[in-house]
Amino acid sequence: MLKHYLKIAFRNLAQQKVLSGINIFGLSVGIACFSLFLLYAVHEFSYDRFHTKADRIYRIVEWWEGGEREPGGYAWAYTPVAPAMKRDFPDVEYAIRLKGSDCIVKAADKVFRTSITYADTAFFHVFTFPLIYGNTNTALQQPNQLVITQEKALQYFGTANVVGKTLELKTDSAFVPFTISGVTENIPANSSVKFNLLGSFEHIANDPMVQQSNMNWYMTIGMQAFVQLKPGSRLASEQNRINLFRRKYYPDDYKPKKNPTKEDLIQTSFRLQPIRDIHMNPTIEGGNDPKNIWILITIAGAVLLIACINFTTLAIGRSAGRAKEIGVRKVIGSQRKQLISQFLAESFLLSVLSAATGLMLGSLLLPLFNQLADRKLSFSFSRFPELIWLLIGLIVLVGFLAGSYPALVLSAFKPIEVLKKKVRVGGSNLFTRSLVTLQFVLSIGLIISTVIILQQIAFMRTKNIGLNKENLVMINTEHIGNKRIYPLYKQAIENNAGILGVTASEMGLGAGEGLMGAGYRDFKGELKGVIEYPGDYNYLNTMGMSLIAGRYFNPALASDTTGAVIVNEALVQELLGTTPEKALGTQLLNAKGNRGTKTIIGVARNFNFEDLKQKVRPQFYYRPSAFQPSRIFVRLQAGDPGSKLALLNKTWKKLVPDAPFEYSFVDEKFDNFYKNETRWSNIAGWAGGISIFLACLGLFGLAALAAVNRTKEIGIRKVLGATVTHVAGLLSKDFVKLITVAFAIATPLAWYMMHYWLQAYAWRINITWQVFALTGAFAILLAVATVSVQAIKAAIANPVKALRNE
Amino acid sequence: MIKIRNLEKIYRTEEVETVALNKISIDVKEGEFVAIMGPSGCGKSTLLNILGLLDDPDNGSFLFNNIEVANFNERKRADLRKHNIGFVFQSFNLIDELTVFENVELPLIYTGVKSGDRKKRVEEVLDKMQIMHRRNHYPQQLSGGQQQRVAVARAVVNNPKLILADEPTGNLDSSNGNEVMTLLTDLNEQGTTIIMVTHSEHDARYSHRIIRMLDGQTVLENIMV
Repeated sequence: MLKHYLKIAFRNLAQQKVLSGINIFGLSVGIACFSLFLLYAVHEFSYDRFHTKADRIYRIVEWWEGGEREPGGYAWAYTPVAPAMKRDFPDVEYAIRLKGSDCIVKAADKVFRTSITYADTAFFHVFTFPLIYGNTNTALQQPNQLVITQEKALQYFGTANVVGKTLELKTDSAFVPFTISGVTENIPANSSVKFNLLGSFEHIANDPMVQQSNMNWYMTIGMQAFVQLKPGSRLASEQNRINLFRRKYYPDDYKPKKNPTKEDLIQTSFRLQPIRDIHMNPTIEGGNDPKNIWILITIAGAVLLIACINFTTLAIGRSAGRAKEIGVRKVIGSQRKQLISQFLAESFLLSVLSAATGLMLGSLLLPLFNQLADRKLSFSFSRFPELIWLLIGLIVLVGFLAGSYPALVLSAFKPIEVLKKKVRVGGSNLFTRSLVTLQFVLSIGLIISTVIILQQIAFMRTKNIGLNKENLVMINTEHIGNKRIYPLYKQAIENNAGILGVTASEMGLGAGEGLMGAGYRDFKGELKGVIEYPGDYNYLNTMGMSLIAGRYFNPALASDTTGAVIVNEALVQELLGTTPEKALGTQLLNAKGNRGTKTIIGVARNFNFEDLKQKVRPQFYYRPSAFQPSRIFVRLQAGDPGSKLALLNKTWKKLVPDAPFEYSFVDEKFDNFYKNETRWSNIAGWAGGISIFLACLGLFGLAALAAVNRTKEIGIRKVLGATVTHVAGLLSKDFVKLITVAFAIATPLAWYMMHYWLQAYAWRINITWQVFALTGAFAILLAVATVSVQAIKAAIANPVKALRNE
Repeated sequence: MIKIRNLEKIYRTEEVETVALNKISIDVKEGEFVAIMGPSGCGKSTLLNILGLLDDPDNGSFLFNNIEVANFNERKRADLRKHNIGFVFQSFNLIDELTVFENVELPLIYTGVKSGDRKKRVEEVLDKMQIMHRRNHYPQQLSGGQQQRVAVARAVVNNPKLILADEPTGNLDSSNGNEVMTLLTDLNEQGTTIIMVTHSEHDARYSHRIIRMLDGQTVLENIMV
């Protein structure tokens, strides 16, 4: 029986080439889209599962809740906590600290900038990073041993087998030789623990800052810590034991306070976070929100649904053509369930064919998708075995979704009625019309959303943020004796043509550069966070930041390096509650309530140093007496930067031969704040484009069927004098009505969603009616163009032929 | 074989009520060849549909081989139909997507006959209908007479006790029409009961008995000598 069903299904596909093509192509695109998003979701949820002991590995996090604070955790670890846990809890098998740092690497006379991670010796007992060369038991035993990834080995030495070779690393002021003791396979893309070079924690144990943090249980130095519990241990869920542990080492935190402030109401605890939870837990800093994955899957589901709807509407649309077959089968003795099986077999066959082409299409599109999603995904069934079941599930789902309604409708035909041609089922019943409307609601909604996201990104990129970020180059000077280099470099380049200004700072600018801050009391005594920005005397003028009161720093005044600050408008407003003029000469109150260390000499205009989701926070600029700039900023003359960059590079090579010239453009660094938004707009844009294409594809098929089903009517109308325009209008009118209804439904929905989305931005655009009007007009024009092709074809056909056929 | 008593079928719309069969009673014995004649709209086709278990009556009794089938549900009707009744239509009603062989094979598939047996039986029937050489052709590649022969082959492949023919020669020229009537007569002579609706007095003469209908009732019966 199945063979018979499949045979019929194949013949139907072959006979109805255009409709089959529309169905298979549409479903393939839908499946390709969905499988890519599925791969993305599977990848995101697969993080850290490759560690063989993943079920026993936990990250130590600090959890804050209470007061007015949203509960949430931080992954920073205090240096002595992990060893103390190992000491105090017999169920802790291993405790591993990881401390990352930037460094300069010298290999075969070439220099590179990269990162190094220092880890406790038992690292390879806990994490599963197989060594290609070297021994995991001894790889991190000596302070100057180094494990390197295969990728880095090939980059530095051109070969992977580099055990025993020496690599010189500079993390401070001088190069130190390390011996390579192991080469690991490249770190999987779905690993939260990542490294390029792995050194022994012993190497930094005597570093003054590490030693200081080892004594101070409140000092963080950007370290993460993990524990591996013994089999059967339930420590992670026994929060009481962990609380007692914290109480032992932080007794002061548990003493009752007389007049508790808001900050005192915050309760702090340690928690053990399962390693597999790290990537997808948004309550702990750095974790991703699974909501985003579900939004992506929903968008992909919508595209797939549109393709499935095409199948359903087209199947119903051409049911009139299959009515005779159904009637005959019923007369001969077929039961309804047998007909349902037959039609489902057809949709399953289509689903399988579409899945096969869809997966091929998906593989072809994977590089583009990786670019969109900023991932390095691959269709690997060995790495993601669950993909096999998910794809089989997808085929079954598509088969059912697309085929069940036609199967139920067609199998219910009464044989006598269809054989006597009393049944007229065409493409225009209420169900079909609703489905087509739904397709266009989804497509129009996605397009409107894309346009609004793009408008917001353009707004954020072009908004005057309070500094001139154009033609501004930022050079990384970390680990190269920056105090010495900056004045030399400045002197060497500043008088060259095309160089308009040179300044420096101890902080970078833009995405991924970090901020430094401290608490200060406002005029009511409340503690407020203030961003501290250490820059050179000429920092503000070179950046193009203007003052609204007071003066810039003056190198001739010694007092300007001992407590003079230039504050921003937000600080004046929020901390002082006064005017910029009155703020001049005011001394800031530090967290302990003391004055005298910071005196305001100027007030600068607000400058958005963070992304435009944030309001401008209180900030001040100062010139430290022991200035250690980590970034040099060079203002270039507008125009082609090539020759100026060549000059900067040449001068750098001359002055700093043992460090790479690493620069970036500040406007790009600011654009990087909106990487996520750009990604979302790309994804929504593609999904919107594909969905409207699929919806039009379906419309094309339906219009063709409408023309066939109305052949007699068109013939009679033409005999009676109807013109081509009239007939084309007749066929297009119904579809235009549907698109108009879809537009009316999609508009408020899209407005509501995008209004909600924009609330996350402190600086945002106003949604204008033009976006909706243009999108609506675009959708209607596209639909009319699609339908017109078929309508005109039907309208110019010879009416005599049409009537003879009937 | 067939005994119907006071059978009624009424078609209703919001405004009009049409009595298609008005308390009609008919008997058909096994092995008979009965022709039903009458003007358009007299209820012949409605009667044939009820006899073929494609439609159900509103009132009355319908005994098929002494079993009351008037109130059978769709599943039971389909089951009884596929084992006992073969149909021949005026417009052949072959499935365009299937070859001659596959069209004839279809009833055997629905009655669950095994593949080997199916092949044998289909070939036998095609041979008998002299259409074997066209077994791999599609219906649209055949002449009207050939298509109707395939339809007859499909109707008899399951060895039904009853064949219902609805104007089997209506779409054929006289030569092809005679050929089909000869086929039906042969089948009847081999024991198959045949009930045929026709407008053609010529075709009706092939039968044993003619039932004439008017306004949903039998008005006359002619026994053919």
